[in-house]
Amino acid sequence: MTAGPDLPVVLAAVVLPFAAVALVPTAYRLLGTRTGYLGAGVAAACFALLATQYGATGTVGLEWVPSLGIALRFRVDGWGLLFALLASGIGVLVFTYSAGYLHPGRTLVRYYGALLGFMGSILGVALAADLVALFLFWELTSVCSFVLIGYHDDDPDSRYAARMAMFVTVGGGLFLLVALLLLWQASGAVFSSPTLSLTAMIENADAMRAALREQGAFLPVLLLVAVGAGSKSAQVPLHFWLPNAMAAPTPVSAFLHSATMVKVGVYFLGRVRPLLASTEWTLLFATIGLVTMTVTAVLAVAATDVKELLAYSTASHLGLMVAAFGFTTAYGAAAGTFHLLNHAAFKAALFLVAGIIAHEAGTRRINDLGGLWRDLPVTAAITAITALGMAGIPFFNGFYSKELIFVAAYDAGQELGGLAWAFPVLATLASVFTVLYSLRFLAMFVGDKPAALGEVHRPPLSLLVPPAVLAVVAGTIGVAPEIAVGAVVEPAIAAVGGGPGDPHYVVPTEFSPAVAMTAVAIGGGAAAYPSYDRLHRGIGNAVAAAPSARANWWYDRALDAVDRAGAESVPRVQNGLLRTYVGWFVGAACGLALLGYAAAELSLPAIDLLGVSPTILLVLLVAVLAAATATTGPSHVTGVLLLSVLGFMLAIFYILASAPDLALTQLVVETLTLVIFLLVIEELPAYYSDVEESVAVRDVALSVGVGATVFVTVLLTTGRTESALAGYFTEQAIPEGGGHNVVNVILTDFRAFDTLGESAVIVIAAIAILTLVLTRDRGESP
Amino acid sequence: MSTVITRTTTRAVVPLIVVVAASLFVQGHNLPGGGFIGGVLTAVAFVLIYITYGLDFLERALLGSVAETGGDPFQDRIVDAYRRLFVFGLALAVGSGLTAMALGFPFLSQSYVIYHDVPLYHEIELASALAFDLGIYCVVVGGLLTILSVVGSE
Repeated sequence: MTAGPDLPVVLAAVVLPFAAVALVPTAYRLLGTRTGYLGAGVAAACFALLATQYGATGTVGLEWVPSLGIALRFRVDGWGLLFALLASGIGVLVFTYSAGYLHPGRTLVRYYGALLGFMGSILGVALAADLVALFLFWELTSVCSFVLIGYHDDDPDSRYAARMAMFVTVGGGLFLLVALLLLWQASGAVFSSPTLSLTAMIENADAMRAALREQGAFLPVLLLVAVGAGSKSAQVPLHFWLPNAMAAPTPVSAFLHSATMVKVGVYFLGRVRPLLASTEWTLLFATIGLVTMTVTAVLAVAATDVKELLAYSTASHLGLMVAAFGFTTAYGAAAGTFHLLNHAAFKAALFLVAGIIAHEAGTRRINDLGGLWRDLPVTAAITAITALGMAGIPFFNGFYSKELIFVAAYDAGQELGGLAWAFPVLATLASVFTVLYSLRFLAMFVGDKPAALGEVHRPPLSLLVPPAVLAVVAGTIGVAPEIAVGAVVEPAIAAVGGGPGDPHYVVPTEFSPAVAMTAVAIGGGAAAYPSYDRLHRGIGNAVAAAPSARANWWYDRALDAVDRAGAESVPRVQNGLLRTYVGWFVGAACGLALLGYAAAELSLPAIDLLGVSPTILLVLLVAVLAAATATTGPSHVTGVLLLSVLGFMLAIFYILASAPDLALTQLVVETLTLVIFLLVIEELPAYYSDVEESVAVRDVALSVGVGATVFVTVLLTTGRTESALAGYFTEQAIPEGGGHNVVNVILTDFRAFDTLGESAVIVIAAIAILTLVLTRDRGESP
Repeated sequence: MSTVITRTTTRAVVPLIVVVAASLFVQGHNLPGGGFIGGVLTAVAFVLIYITYGLDFLERALLGSVAETGGDPFQDRIVDAYRRLFVFGLALAVGSGLTAMALGFPFLSQSYVIYHDVPLYHEIELASALAFDLGIYCVVVGGLLTILSVVGSE
């Protein structure tokens, strides 16, 4: 059972969804809305490919950028496989469901393309063992989800939600990037050279932790990982994007909220858990997770929309998983991995049920719905199994993993003492609310049907089968947890680094603290249920009364401020006057260059004036004189001519400094510039007008700044007298390039790629001018 | 700027410039010169004609194109020809690099052979870099003349 993974198979599973994106437009022309079945086929193929790797453990890789040590490494183990199998398995169901759910339209091509890319990126994250590849796939999931959440691109709410999801998750990704770079740097102290391989780091976890602590980077890495994973997995206070993301079509929500993207953060925490586990780790992630679990469970009770309720509940369950991985015992690891599986099964089914309700009943308002079991009996059965699983009722799947987190939280409280007792208290409190909203969801199916609710149709099979499959899976886990535990959970626990303790997966028959917590949670939830409406209104009013306590309010404020700053600064920078543009551009370039020199702490070389020959001095003197007189010249023509004198003097200087190539180029280019200037000048007034003093001062300051920057740059770049490179080129020019002109041999033989790039610039300039003239003729630009 | 002096000078100087440009291009590998400078110098010759005789003469009489001044530059046959020239140049430069790849060398690897006992020259060197250089030459000439033609016709 310890066979290594097969690289072609793993690679095929990750690449297949991306390759299939190319087929989507054609498939849509041939199949129409049934393109979803193509996606389901691709997902099934990925699932099958990954299933063949079951039991394998190891890292395989493909060279990518060998000179930088970047490789396309894939780590196959229980944890990665569990996540990848979930993503592709639920992918099959979501694609099937989409085929029945979405109406035909041009945007379907984009939808299926993005959904396939989304699945591929998730598989990539699940299997990546290289930090660069991991980050790449990580951000790809954000980009794909942006497209998917903004599916209804004519709806402002959709666009708002898509942009928010993008900002929060991509922004969080940048924090993760810094964390990964810090890890990379610390690995230099452990290995002979810094490595990007996550597997290697985890295998030397103790040494890595020691190195991180020695560099003082351990806590920063923890915090950065917390922001990165927290933004992706919607942890407080970055949880607010997740409920907004319900603007996405329901199948996307099912995929996004239950199986994939939002779990990427949790997944990553599980992945790096063996690497970073410590007391600080426990305090940080158990706190974040349990606070999120409680806050979002409370907010879920205030939800009025079916999908909103599920979205908050997702954030709450993600908090549970984050907290579970925070606890370093085996119970924590078991709770995290097992709940990942359980949550995916029940939450995906519940989202699909929400889609059926919205599709068939025509509304998603919870208060307008009731008594649906008469019209939707199968859906009601599915909901019963999955909603009770969500509530954590014994003999349903969520119960077992929730029991594990209770044990882990209680143990942590006992071990750490003091304030750590808040862990079990928070876990229990959150579970009370979990039971509450789960029962409320279920209540839509029982009782009387409101009169306002019209006829509710039976859903087609393509909508019914996917949630039914998930309910069967959830139900099976509930009745016989040992099957799923033995098959997929235990290998995953091993991969996330278990810890002391031996978790059990049965309905307990003896009294223990965890049993007491479960009893309080279920009893409390059931007791509070009759006053649900009062709680619902109370929480809603409390949230509405204090808008500044909501993260969303801060997000809007921050975005408004950025918008305003942008709107105010644009007219200053881009006022339609060419000289303003040049001023900003040149000023910024000079500022950046000088800052760069200062940051690199370069020192100016000494200038040896005595070594300069009188001829060169004379030539340079003429050049300086020409430049000085150019500023006082009475007309444009004099100015241009004087500047040309400066240019030609430079050419002579090049000749004297034995650079005939440069001199030749300078002469020809100078001639060409002069001619073009003279052409343009015909159109300008012959003499200068008076300038304002402030403008003149500004221009003088700018030109002095530019001159100083160029001066410093020349000094810094030419200051080195000895260069191994120059010697190399001189020696190799004839044997390697077969030319006596070193400059030209460099241009065409040694640095031909640079030359190619420069000639591309000329082409781009020519095309740009053509396009500019063309668009102006059409009146497309001012 | 069409005076007798400029016209006479231009007539004498333009062939010289073209010859010098060609020689600069060919000798580039061993002496000062090369594709870029040769290209710019060739463009200078055209500029000189343009300034002395005007754009119409350059495009209609000399290059045999029907110039439609004031019209859509993309419809203009001469601009189209310039555009084809720089596209060809870029393709040639990239192609010379790809050829090296096809033969199993890294992108843009160059090589050369020296032929001995060639009549008149005695010894001639043929470098693959010449093809790359020719590409650069075409890009420079095509690009500069496009800019000149479009801006000049304004």
